[in-house]
Amino acid sequence: MENNRHTSREYERELQEIRDGLLYLGVLTERALERGAQALLERNSILAEEIIREDEQIDSLDVDLEEKCIRLLALRQPAARDLRFITTAIKITGHLERIGDMAANIAEKVIILNDLKQIKPYVDLPRMVEISRGMIRKSLDAMVREDSELAKMVREEDAVVDQLNDQVFRELLTFMLEDPTKIQVCLYIMQISKSLERIADHAEGIADMVIYMITGKSVRHKPTSVEQG
Amino acid sequence: MKFRLFHKFIATFFAIGIAAVAVAGLLIERELKMDLMTRIAEEMAAGARIIALMPTEEIARRAAELAERTRARLTLIDAAGRVTADSELGDGETDGHINRSEIQEARLRGVGKAVRYSHTLQKEMLYVAIPLQKESRTTGYIRLSRPLAEITLTINGMGKTIFDILLWTVIASLLIALLFSLKMLSPIGRLAAFTGKVRMGDVFGTLWIKPRDELGQLSENINEIVRTLQEKIQTASEEKRKLELLFSGMSEGVMVLDVENRIESVNRGMEELTGRLRGEVIGKTLLEAFRNIELHDALERFREKNVTVCEEIGLGDERSVIMDVTISAFADEAGGERNTMLVFHDVTRLKKLERTRTDFVANVTHEIRTPLTAIIGFAETLEQGAVDNRAKALQFLRTIRENAERLNRLVEDLLTLSGLELGEAKLHLEGVRIEEALDQVLAVVAARAEGKGLTIRKGMAGELPLIRADRDRLAQILINIIDNAIKFTPVGGTVAITTSPGEEGFLTIRISDTGVGIPKGEIPRLGERFYRADKTRSREQGGTGLGLSIVKHLMMAHGGRVMIDSALGHGTTVSLYFPVSRESE
Repeated sequence: MENNRHTSREYERELQEIRDGLLYLGVLTERALERGAQALLERNSILAEEIIREDEQIDSLDVDLEEKCIRLLALRQPAARDLRFITTAIKITGHLERIGDMAANIAEKVIILNDLKQIKPYVDLPRMVEISRGMIRKSLDAMVREDSELAKMVREEDAVVDQLNDQVFRELLTFMLEDPTKIQVCLYIMQISKSLERIADHAEGIADMVIYMITGKSVRHKPTSVEQG
Repeated sequence: MKFRLFHKFIATFFAIGIAAVAVAGLLIERELKMDLMTRIAEEMAAGARIIALMPTEEIARRAAELAERTRARLTLIDAAGRVTADSELGDGETDGHINRSEIQEARLRGVGKAVRYSHTLQKEMLYVAIPLQKESRTTGYIRLSRPLAEITLTINGMGKTIFDILLWTVIASLLIALLFSLKMLSPIGRLAAFTGKVRMGDVFGTLWIKPRDELGQLSENINEIVRTLQEKIQTASEEKRKLELLFSGMSEGVMVLDVENRIESVNRGMEELTGRLRGEVIGKTLLEAFRNIELHDALERFREKNVTVCEEIGLGDERSVIMDVTISAFADEAGGERNTMLVFHDVTRLKKLERTRTDFVANVTHEIRTPLTAIIGFAETLEQGAVDNRAKALQFLRTIRENAERLNRLVEDLLTLSGLELGEAKLHLEGVRIEEALDQVLAVVAARAEGKGLTIRKGMAGELPLIRADRDRLAQILINIIDNAIKFTPVGGTVAITTSPGEEGFLTIRISDTGVGIPKGEIPRLGERFYRADKTRSREQGGTGLGLSIVKHLMMAHGGRVMIDSALGHGTTVSLYFPVSRESE
């Protein structure tokens, strides 16, 4: 009995470690994004290089976390909710790791952009960063609070980032048509915008996983109400 | 509770009663039977002895009569064991009586007894025999016998009486036991009820049991225990209340984590520092509650090293609140569960002050070094021969003097400022007419404004009250502001000065220019020492970077304030609010 309780306590602790690990990773990716925006706005290449270096930490944490999940699956043979939690945790860490990579990609582009002349003040990109950061945070909040409604709201925000991406694309297109010397800068900005759009997609993926984790129902590849409307 | 004990009592009494009746009845019956038989046997033996006094022939002849008299069957047996006469049967019928146990016993001991089934009469019989002796020679035996049934009947009759008596005794004692146990058990029941209430936590009562016996003593003891308990609980809750007051009243944030590293409690200070309510964070891990990896890492480090960790961590959504976090562990008295305590101390202001101080030192050094470098440079040039070139030398000397003057201004400004900050500056407050003060100042700056081709416009709103100010300091304030306006307004611009009665008890002086303006974000920082909105230009103009800082402090010393409003590229408006002098009311 005592031993049993001890084992289940240990198991609880391991599950919590995974939960905390996801949150830790979430904070790191959020911060990478935040700093990416800062590096872009302040034209700070040193900060950008730091982001690229810190991505290694995200990568290694991702590997650790995945290993923990697999070990738990093998040793504890969890069922029902716990099984769902662990399998979705594996997917969420994958999404977070990809977001980290994208943030590093953005940082690389920022370094290049910092050597080129800025063509206009950035307005939409910081907004996209803000929204996707919020999506990461809120989807993990939804996990902590087991609030599937919040996760559903996060899914809908993806559409806003998509629209912003389109807007950036159209705007840059006019710049390029007007002045071919601006094409290089515009292409890099476009890549950043595309990366941010992908980040929002991954954040939506996290929200999907959280919904599945909480309700056991898959919402993947299903249109959100915004898209339907 | 009470009834179970009561039932047990009664059942036990009942069982004991029944057993006693049964055992006593059996024992008495047996004893009586033995006693009765012995006595009957003795009686019969006595009868037999009396009969034995008669001659044998007469006994045989009168056997029936004798039997009638003794109410027994009489058998006369000769020495050989042959029955010579029997009261119930004819004679010479049975022989071999010599081997009967009563006969044997009579032969050996003088009297013989036996209980036996008589085949002759087909009844259980009691036999008593004595020997007939003549000249110490046994000539025969007289045997008397009675059917046992007679005796049993007597005994049974007696037994019934005895049983009745016993039964009534038991019933009576049961009744007594019942009354007694009711009397004894009712206080026990009350005791049980009372202690039950105490166990549930209701310790505010007294038990009333009267009897001055062990039960009374017991209830007295229990009362005493409860009283002590009450006092202890009261002391403990008082202590707890004090601790809670302390816990919630302290400005430091305190957070306690359980063994699982989940937040167990936070105080009000913590809620205020983090902006997260108790309900939002309790039961969560640090990461779940605050999403702060520095805090999480600090805790991990603490877990690894197991020594108190003290760190500075940015908290809040923007990590803008800098906290001094001390992590330590404490175990409960039994040394079992290990809880972790985190104490948060807000050092944001301290950090800011520290930065301001280092910035100040860096700025002062920088400000001093610039003119010093110029002075040293030009002096060296002069030494190396420029002194011979009169025109150049004069120009260099002028530069040296200008820089020395700038140094002097800087030192004076710094002294003024530190005097103001320490509150040492003595203001000679009096009622001052603002128009007079303005005219004096304008006379000083007019030349410079004209030199730049600036228009200075002055607008007064009729009759104005006197303001309460120190004449010299007022001039210093106005010169500083108007000078700034002139400095940062390009050639051909306008500086407008208007005065108007402002808010209740205040007079407003507005100095607006059409200059370069100040970015919105920098306005709040203008009062900081050495803060320059336009770094290069300001220094070119010979400012010390302390002007506005001095104005801010002087206005504060006057009980007024400064407001700066600006739009980049459109000019700046400085509003000075002076308290109105009472003399003018």
